[in-house]
Amino acid sequence: MLLAAGVDVGSTQTKAVIAGERDGFRLLGRALVDTGSNVQRAAENGFLAACREAAVAPEEVGYVVGTGYGRYKITFGHAQMTEISCHARGAHFLFPATRTVIDMGGQDAKAISVGARGEVLDFVMNDKCAAGTGRFLANAAEVLGLGLDELGPLSLAARHPVKITTVCTVFVESDILSYLAQGKQAEDILGGVHLAIARRTVSLARRVPLEAAITMTGGVARNLGMVRALEQVLETKLEVSPGAHFAGALGAALFALEKMDAGMKAGNRRPADAILAG
Amino acid sequence: MPASIPSEYRGRMHQAQRELMQRWYERLEESARSGNPPAVSLMIAGNCVELLEGFGAVPLYPEINALQLAIRHASLAPILAAEELGYAADNCAYVKADIGALLQGLTPTGTRLPTPALVLCNFVGCNTYVKWFEHCAEFQGAPLTLLDVPFLRTDEPRAEDVAYIVRQLQEIVAQLEAITGRRFDAERFREAVRCAARVEEAWSRIKHLARRTPSPFDAYFDAITLMGPLYVYRGRPEGVAFFELALEEMEAKAARGEGLYDQENFRIVIEGPPPYPFFRAFRDMFAAWKAAPVASTYSTVGGLWEFGFRHDPDRPFESLALHMLAHNVTNRNYLQRYQQIRRYVEEWDADGVVIHFVKSCRLFSAGQGDMRDYFTRQLGIPTLYLESDLEDPRYFSTAQIRNRMDAFFEALEHARATGTHRRGAALVRANGPAPGDEPAKVAAGPTLRILD
Repeated sequence: MLLAAGVDVGSTQTKAVIAGERDGFRLLGRALVDTGSNVQRAAENGFLAACREAAVAPEEVGYVVGTGYGRYKITFGHAQMTEISCHARGAHFLFPATRTVIDMGGQDAKAISVGARGEVLDFVMNDKCAAGTGRFLANAAEVLGLGLDELGPLSLAARHPVKITTVCTVFVESDILSYLAQGKQAEDILGGVHLAIARRTVSLARRVPLEAAITMTGGVARNLGMVRALEQVLETKLEVSPGAHFAGALGAALFALEKMDAGMKAGNRRPADAILAG
Repeated sequence: MPASIPSEYRGRMHQAQRELMQRWYERLEESARSGNPPAVSLMIAGNCVELLEGFGAVPLYPEINALQLAIRHASLAPILAAEELGYAADNCAYVKADIGALLQGLTPTGTRLPTPALVLCNFVGCNTYVKWFEHCAEFQGAPLTLLDVPFLRTDEPRAEDVAYIVRQLQEIVAQLEAITGRRFDAERFREAVRCAARVEEAWSRIKHLARRTPSPFDAYFDAITLMGPLYVYRGRPEGVAFFELALEEMEAKAARGEGLYDQENFRIVIEGPPPYPFFRAFRDMFAAWKAAPVASTYSTVGGLWEFGFRHDPDRPFESLALHMLAHNVTNRNYLQRYQQIRRYVEEWDADGVVIHFVKSCRLFSAGQGDMRDYFTRQLGIPTLYLESDLEDPRYFSTAQIRNRMDAFFEALEHARATGTHRRGAALVRANGPAPGDEPAKVAAGPTLRILD
């Protein structure tokens, strides 16, 4: 079986997927590692860990597509594609009815309009401001002394969500401190934080045609509180895969499978050679 | 994304451009030294540079100084100096760079710049410039005159508006005679207008060459190279010689079937000024995809000639007034700008539009979100919206801009590979409500019905 990989080097985490094609697409392995300061090493570690999970030797992988902000640092990859194309492709694969993707990652929030074949028709992103992204939530968690995993469940317990007026990732800290000083409950503060991000993200997303089905991808999709807040603002249900944060890497792997034939014919080196040589 | 970035074309015209611009700075330095020739500050938008030739005066363009500082990666220090003085973070960065440089004695080429005999604010479309020129006059101790050009409120310019501008131009002539002690040479002015018409003809023909596939002319990055001589030398024989040389060179390229790259993958219309501090990096992002800029609105700030307007030596004052009023992009309304871009997409047969939003420029950028909606949703034309600044390097993030550019071109490439791609001419004909018409097709979901 010919094997391909997608490696999504995000600002916070690196995701890798190993896939093969025999009687249809097969997802063989996946891995998630922190990106940290060495982007190249993170890409390699993610790729090798996914190979281990797939129980394949790295040299068996014929083609790698890199995506995410660190894509140009993936020295063993054959091609780079933006995470916009890859998330669209991945989301469409997971939910073929997808016409809009909302992707929320560590530093990016984007909305992608997707065609019937998973192609990108249009997209919008936040611009040089981390409001409405994972970083906003991470800051809120830090002020409240909570772990990231605790945010979603706690926010769902909110009975009277507070009104968060700022959308600034930095200034939200003072808003939260001020509510804490007023004796507000953490869950109500978090409920407000989630709604503030949801409103901002939806106002961004309305700049592309917001057609159903809407699929959410990216690391923030693991936060159920965020999913529910978006659904509340959008007044519609979102499609969310348990592996939503792998959508970019999955899309990259799908592109890699497509490109593999041509790549092998062109005599490209295998990714493992580059890693082993390095 | 392709690994290598094609280099840009460099011909005789580029050498000639450098020499002309150097000579301009030499003339300005001569003016600073001796007062001869007298210098007059002008703004680029719909400028009336021909008038100065009637006095043998040299134009001084604060915008060119500002952008030259930015392109040389020297704009941040004067911007910070202006902010220290009290200019706000969201003020026009051109203003801050220019005022900061003025106070620091900083010039783009290190040569001295003169104190203008007159700061002539030929106000065309931008309110901020009025304040900019007021400040220049104050800091430089120079007299100030506002040439008030009404916004173009109707499709065709109104006779009373033309008369209003002509009257002001004549007053400025009298004022310059008094200030410089020189008599206005009407014949020299007429000759300048004649030169301008020839420059405009050559410039327009160069732009029309970009309608060919492949386009021999980069109608954004290289158009900007040509804009210096266009604004400084339009009324002079050197300007005519330069633009006729450039035309000859581009026609020769066209005859050889030479494009910007070995292969032209995409044809793009660009709206908005460039991020000057990252001019080369921005250009390379298009070049990496072999995307040819075939038309641009920014190259029509000083004048819009590709649709037929020319200065007229038989009616020199009236044609200056018409030019300032109706034949430059900045003094026209937004629907006219839509129409202009739509014509580019259709007649230059483009694959998409790239809008560069400039954070510190209300004039150019307000309404570009709606513009994007018009092109994407109503005409179905792939349109990319980028945000940074034309002068302030703090607003440009290479990784973010490149990410958006790559995604845009990936989508175009994918559409082509899957057979769903259609070029501008076909799209406009198929979908095309004109700006101001009832939209024929509005995508589902909440949209702004901006053109009702």
